[in-house]
Amino acid sequence: MATGHDGPTGDWFGNSEQISRLPGKVFAATCLAATLFGIVMVAGLLVYVTKDAIRPLTANPGWFLVFFLTLVVPSTALLAYFGRRRDGEATVALTALGIPFFGLLLGSGVLMLFIDVIGIFEWLAFVAATIVAVGVILGHRRVRGRTSFLEELLVGVVALVGLGPVTYQFISTFPTLPQAWLIYLFTFGLGGAAIAGLLVARRRNDRRAGLTAFTALFVTVTAGVFIDPSTGITPPVWVILFTFAAIPTALYAEGVVRRRQGSLPVGLFFPFVVVAGMLVGAVLVDLLGFAGPQAWLDIQFLTSANSRFPEEAGIYPALIGSILMMVVVAISSFPIGVGAALYLEEYAPSSGPLSVVVKFIEINIANLAGVPSVVYGLLGLALFVNWLDFASGIVVVGGMTVGLLILPIIIISAQEAIRAVPGSLRQASYGMGATRWQTIRRVVLPEALPGILTGSILAFGRAIGETAPLLMIGAAASVFRAPNGFFDIFSAMPRQIYTWVGQPSQEFQYGVMAAGVVTLVTVMISMNAAAILIRNKYERRS
Amino acid sequence: MSQENNTPDFVGRSGIRSAREQSIKWLLFGCAALSVAVTTAIVATLLFDAIDFFLEVSPMAFFFGTTWSPTIDQAFGVVPLVAGTLFVTVLSACIAIPVGVASATYLSEYASRKTRSIIKPALEILAGIPTVVYGYFALVYLTPALEWLGLPLSTFNALSASIMIGIMIIPMVSSLSEDAMSAVPDSLRQAGYGMGATKLEVSTGVVIPAAASGIFSSFILALSRAIGETMIVVVAAGMRPRLVPSPFESLEVMTAAMVQLVTTDIAGGSTAYRAMFAIGITLFAITFAMNLASTFVASRYREEYQ
Repeated sequence: MATGHDGPTGDWFGNSEQISRLPGKVFAATCLAATLFGIVMVAGLLVYVTKDAIRPLTANPGWFLVFFLTLVVPSTALLAYFGRRRDGEATVALTALGIPFFGLLLGSGVLMLFIDVIGIFEWLAFVAATIVAVGVILGHRRVRGRTSFLEELLVGVVALVGLGPVTYQFISTFPTLPQAWLIYLFTFGLGGAAIAGLLVARRRNDRRAGLTAFTALFVTVTAGVFIDPSTGITPPVWVILFTFAAIPTALYAEGVVRRRQGSLPVGLFFPFVVVAGMLVGAVLVDLLGFAGPQAWLDIQFLTSANSRFPEEAGIYPALIGSILMMVVVAISSFPIGVGAALYLEEYAPSSGPLSVVVKFIEINIANLAGVPSVVYGLLGLALFVNWLDFASGIVVVGGMTVGLLILPIIIISAQEAIRAVPGSLRQASYGMGATRWQTIRRVVLPEALPGILTGSILAFGRAIGETAPLLMIGAAASVFRAPNGFFDIFSAMPRQIYTWVGQPSQEFQYGVMAAGVVTLVTVMISMNAAAILIRNKYERRS
Repeated sequence: MSQENNTPDFVGRSGIRSAREQSIKWLLFGCAALSVAVTTAIVATLLFDAIDFFLEVSPMAFFFGTTWSPTIDQAFGVVPLVAGTLFVTVLSACIAIPVGVASATYLSEYASRKTRSIIKPALEILAGIPTVVYGYFALVYLTPALEWLGLPLSTFNALSASIMIGIMIIPMVSSLSEDAMSAVPDSLRQAGYGMGATKLEVSTGVVIPAAASGIFSSFILALSRAIGETMIVVVAAGMRPRLVPSPFESLEVMTAAMVQLVTTDIAGGSTAYRAMFAIGITLFAITFAMNLASTFVASRYREEYQ
């Protein structure tokens, strides 16, 4: 038949009858290579910088062998076994390891705040003032019945502002304060156990179970206070880390056990295998006398201030500065961002004069997300320092500037999360007679919360690495003690790293700076990982 | 007995309820309107000092002057800084645009669901790495590596900074372009296959042209990000204004000039201090215009297919 070599049909797809698969394969491979290009390059650089920060070659090979045998082999074998069972046990195992890990990270942050920044006295006064304010609101509600939201807000603010200083004064007249550990126990420990108890009671629909959980947790946290402080676990360390790491883990374990009625969830034992591997490894290494790597990134680096000498330089004050700044960033951007997203998605009219304003606001937000961070820095400098007369380079100014920077990102991601809530849920709620606000608070917000949290954590991860705005508002190049309040001058981790860029010596360039970069990137990747985990968990459910 | 008591009160305290609803609505509106206040504040604060600057230095001397030496010679010509910015932006675009589009094509047309679920978070992390870290990589690892390859680089140079900026904005190009490609209706692809086209021909001949406006808008956004990028250039490209930049030498871009002005000790009310705001408002105007253009282009493609 016609071979098609000289056919008059001209150009059309497949006119050569034999189509080579090669161009397609080459194209697909090129595209894949392009996708991996950036990822591989940055991953390689991260490996390199980690190598410089840890210096694994300085360690005794025996050291690696011991940890390989006690930690890597058992845990990977166990994970592989769980993975082969294909019943979700691997997920349980990894989550059971991940929750205490993130909890410890968060708990250490809070702990640092309480050791260095917030005095026990201020904390007690703050808790007392909050309790008084809540009491006033409840009392007000009882007297006046259910009133408008604004009225309650007003009463709350008046109670907090009016009674806060009075409470502070009142507490300062006490001849003796209770011991610090008692205060931590009854604020963090009691509060955490109470919240856990309430959650358990609600999940199981069983008050007694909640009470049991509460009692068990509270007794454990109280018992831990009596651990010998010479082990390093002092009562504040114990109470705060328990509250942030152990209580969420216990809640997760409770959930798994409840869902698996009957069969034992072995995955929950995975973290014990890991921790035991670490402990056994540490003991063995100590007994056999194998030296570990002489890392730049060590406890000394994390706990000391900057120095002219690379061996003594550390990042501690900048770490505290970053944590404090993130507190301000979260407070200043999260509520406003979610509020704005709620208005734009739930209230904004689609016609009428206000709709023009709304359209304008939406375009404006999209554009704000693209404004360079250095311009936000200038805004912070001009607005907060020059006009509002704050001191330059203090925590509040840095936090609010970076907060403004991530506000549009939070609004946009929260809008996406709220938009993804199906309209049928809202209609059902309206059908039950709920008002718009009741629908939002009871239906829309709980449903959209995972999405909102994911977007916000990603935004906070970006905020913690922002450098240019901090340069513009005059954050300190190096501070030698941690800031002791929100109105103190501070430095942050990225700012400290930029200071080290100016140090020409090899030890700084490839040692101290590498350690700083690894610290910063670890914090940022942990936050991203937490966000991605939250998203994956809730995506699968729906 | 009065009549009213017999009618059940279904509405409840409707007055209080609606007052509460209204107050919440306006509170949330306030949150949304704050973004406009931020924009206004940016423009106002920048303009305030920039106008003072332009009273001292004529706009002609600023926008067309070819020497930037604010502290020593009191010369405020912004042209070398703009030249440096454009140079770095074009170089980084040479990396980010081809790589980003190829990666978007892979993710949208070739990747399986599972591959995508691994690669997309990795790209997200790439986008989230602090820029000062990218700058550190460029200065401490990339520059020596390129020197080892035989390029005559000085310690601070435009090339390694541009490569790093290019890598930083790849995720932006690829994720926005992928959104645009995924929005192309499947019927177009099916039609292509029906005509006997291969997957390669469908990808390059049907999907990419159909998503062109979305892809183009991602280019604009990414370039605007490259223009406003600060820390990478500050750390790795140096602070030496040049009218004719070279990839192997140091140069100074607009953002770096602002950082240099604020970190050297200049007096609060001096002309050099105000020059910072003049650069700031120029930068703001450029990026804002680019973002608006990107929104405009992107909204056109949305009209075509939805």
